[in-house]
Amino acid sequence: LRKTADLLPGTLDMLILKAVSLTPLHGYGVLLRIRQISGNALDIPQGSLYPALYRLEHQGLLAAEWGESENNRRAKFYTLTASGRRRLREETASWNRLASAIGAALKTAPDQV
Amino acid sequence: MLTRLRSLLRALTGRRRFEEGMAAELRSHIEQYTQDLVRDGLPPAEAARRARLEFGNLDSVKDDCREARGLRPFDTVQQDLRYAVRLLRKTPGFTVTALATLALCLGANLTIFAVIDSVLLRSLPFPEADRLVSLYNTYPRAGVPNDGVSLTNYYERRNGQVAAFSWLAIYKEGRAVIGEAGATEQEPVTRVSPEFFSTLAVRPSLGRAFTEDETTYGRSRVVILTDAYWRQHFNADPSALGRTLRVDGNPFLIVGVLPPGFRFLSSPSRLYFPLASSPEQRAPERRHWGDQAEMIARLAPDVTVAAAQEQVDAQNTALEKTNPRGKAMADAGFRSMVVPLHRSHVAAVRPTLLLIQVGVLFLLLIGIVNLVNLLLIRASARLRELAIRQAMGASRRHVASSVMVETSVLTAMGAALGLAVGAVGIRLLLALGADRLPLGAQIAFDGRLALVALAAAFALGVAIATPIAWYNLRTNVSTALYTESRSGTLSRAAQRLRHGFVVAQIALAFVVLADAGLLALSLKQVMAVSPGFRTDHVSSGRISPPYSRYPNDKVRLDLIDRMLEAIHRQPGVITAGVTSNVPLSGNTVKSAATVKGYSPPAGVPPHGHYSYSVTGDYFGAAGIPLREGRLFTPDDARRPERVCIVDEDFARRYWPGRTAIGQRLFMGASQDTDDKAFTVVGVVGAVKQAGLADQEQQGAVYYTFRYRGADEMFLVARTALPPDEFAATLRRIVRQIDPELPLSDVQSMDTRVAESLVTRRSPAVLAGLFAAVALLLTAIGTYGVLSYAVAQRRREIGLRIALGARPDQVRAQFVGLGLRLLAAGGTLGLAAAWLTGRAMQTMLFRVPPLPWAILVGTTVIMLVVSLAASLWPSYRATRISPMQALNDQ
Repeated sequence: LRKTADLLPGTLDMLILKAVSLTPLHGYGVLLRIRQISGNALDIPQGSLYPALYRLEHQGLLAAEWGESENNRRAKFYTLTASGRRRLREETASWNRLASAIGAALKTAPDQV
Repeated sequence: MLTRLRSLLRALTGRRRFEEGMAAELRSHIEQYTQDLVRDGLPPAEAARRARLEFGNLDSVKDDCREARGLRPFDTVQQDLRYAVRLLRKTPGFTVTALATLALCLGANLTIFAVIDSVLLRSLPFPEADRLVSLYNTYPRAGVPNDGVSLTNYYERRNGQVAAFSWLAIYKEGRAVIGEAGATEQEPVTRVSPEFFSTLAVRPSLGRAFTEDETTYGRSRVVILTDAYWRQHFNADPSALGRTLRVDGNPFLIVGVLPPGFRFLSSPSRLYFPLASSPEQRAPERRHWGDQAEMIARLAPDVTVAAAQEQVDAQNTALEKTNPRGKAMADAGFRSMVVPLHRSHVAAVRPTLLLIQVGVLFLLLIGIVNLVNLLLIRASARLRELAIRQAMGASRRHVASSVMVETSVLTAMGAALGLAVGAVGIRLLLALGADRLPLGAQIAFDGRLALVALAAAFALGVAIATPIAWYNLRTNVSTALYTESRSGTLSRAAQRLRHGFVVAQIALAFVVLADAGLLALSLKQVMAVSPGFRTDHVSSGRISPPYSRYPNDKVRLDLIDRMLEAIHRQPGVITAGVTSNVPLSGNTVKSAATVKGYSPPAGVPPHGHYSYSVTGDYFGAAGIPLREGRLFTPDDARRPERVCIVDEDFARRYWPGRTAIGQRLFMGASQDTDDKAFTVVGVVGAVKQAGLADQEQQGAVYYTFRYRGADEMFLVARTALPPDEFAATLRRIVRQIDPELPLSDVQSMDTRVAESLVTRRSPAVLAGLFAAVALLLTAIGTYGVLSYAVAQRRREIGLRIALGARPDQVRAQFVGLGLRLLAAGGTLGLAAAWLTGRAMQTMLFRVPPLPWAILVGTTVIMLVVSLAASLWPSYRATRISPMQALNDQ
């Protein structure tokens, strides 16, 4: 039995933006942070993490900079840019709207129709 | 959008850094994950395995990352490039043929384009040059299409008298003797009116332009130097201003230096003088047939050439009302034309240049067709490979783009080689006389040309790739795997395409060949025209005795006599004479002569004639035959009796069916008193003054120097020696008699005839060259297609041979194919050649659009080339071994 849920399409970008918005992270850190903030409920496929990071950087939503990691290794740290912050706000709002609409729809009882 | 572009550019420019960074990042991820797994209690080896496994395929992750950066298309192109280069290296025969074709065709086009660009396209090097016009008087019905303008015209039009012009100026090209005694040089010079430089919107870089005051005799001893002359003779010293230069023996004050690079049209002048005149020279009576000059003007803003023409016409009409001879001028069709300066300056060479450009474009077309056909054949051979690639998931776009990359590699390399060919080609053209074209001096190999080559390479790459990509894509994957392999049947469409291209190629080559033949035939016709004088063993050279030292006719005649005497004393000289103008000198000024008692029938205008002053045995030296009467005797030059000689055209015009001897005529455009009349004592043969192809029977009158002085004279000598050897002697004689008098334009009459034909010979030579290349390309094209047909039908041929077909039957099949292609292409080419021949009529001399000789000659040559190209593939077809052919694949 699987303990983690599959990601809905399109949600990976949002989760990365969120993870990075809390504190600058390197790639592996993004993976751990998403696990952590989702209470280990979400596990993202490691292979698709980096293409997503590169795409977000390419779009100017993330900025990347080489620095020292906690165990003194060279690592590439990602931070959120101004437009990344704006995008995260928009995506959060639209996710919330979607989630509550779907929630409401799924809660509908037969007599409410 | 901008961020993405920036990010892509960063990744592209720092590609190594990007790749290393990505590798490091991914590696460190896997390592950290491994460590975490070890911490969770897994043995290290197992942890490393798990980490790699969960991460997935490292290479495909990297690929995804690259694609996220937009690097993918670049990588694909790079791969295709590598593949294309490998493929080209694997087939050196094809590659060399293709590159040679491209280099030759592009090089030829670049060469001709360089000429077209310099002469026709590039605007004149003056500000707002499109507003510059030139004006000239024309008397078409008097046989004088262009008579320049008179000083009177200038004084009546300048200073805003014609509102359409913001500036108006005249100029006159001539020669002057420059320098101190013993070191004199004859320099081409231009005399200009004060506003000449303002009209061109050019200001002297040093000093000033000419003033109004300097257009009066006596005050006109000032000179403006071009930058080049100033650098060469004054070492670019600014203090040259205010110094003097000896001109025709007199000191002239240097008042200005022109900016670097200044050159008026094709003028070789490096010195500019004011054009001085007297009030009499500017009088209204001298409006026609007066002192001639050339006129330029700058149109006022927003005035069109047509509007300016209207204003000039209106002014002429008003002025001519008070002219007592206005009626005769109107009869002669008098009008002052306003024409754009650049266009009129190059008008004579425009059709020829365009013709040559069309010729090389045809060549390029043939070359492209060749290349497409060769590539199509290659594509057919690679169809299976392509089908496999498509079956394995190559996208249609990728198939098309890889073709594009391959052809672009070819065309880019071809263009680079073409530039080299072009550089050589321009040298060749200059050797053929291109620098003597109007504005030809600026023909150069420059950045513009390289840019055109680049654009051409790109356009050609796409043009060539399109049919190949179309062919590749329209082929169904599954049938491709089947048809062009074992089953041995050809794809019909591909075959038709290939054959269609060969037919087009043959048609184009036919046209190029036929047109080259037309030009050659025309040249031959012109050369067959008798010039009216003897061309071999005749030397000639020009002197211009300055009036400052030879002020009157007496001393000038003495000078001529001394020279003639000295020439006659030379060993090997048969006879010699002096004339004011030799045939084909380039001077075709006409003047008026009025036959006594002759009044032209109503509406027939007075006619312009060539006028010469001659002395010594000019007619004998030039070999102009006497038809009637006598030649001048030495006495004629001294005696007061006025006598003249006319040519047969003149005699026929005025005294048809009667003798001209004893008739009388006046120099100039009007009847005069009897004591001014010249008696005709002889009639000589007509000479071609303007050019061998000139068919106008202009008529000529020969006077003695006593009654018609001349600024410049040609010494003409017939010798037993070759003229080249005599030239030095001629120079020595002139130097001995007057060391300050330069002798210029020393040429044999043979050379003058050859030079006069350069505008016909060079295009013919070029067209011949193009035709040779076109034939070669066509032969390659036919050979390639037939060879392929033979290779494709190996099995069929093998089968036929096995069943008993004779070699000649097999051979006939392929020679027949070659001939069928030739017949189709030849028919098309014939029609096209007739059309182009008609379009070329104005350039041809006594040649119909498609003479039989050309038709038969072209057909025979094409037949020979086609047969030659068919023979080898056909022969190979007969050598196919049935066993091998049937066992193939």
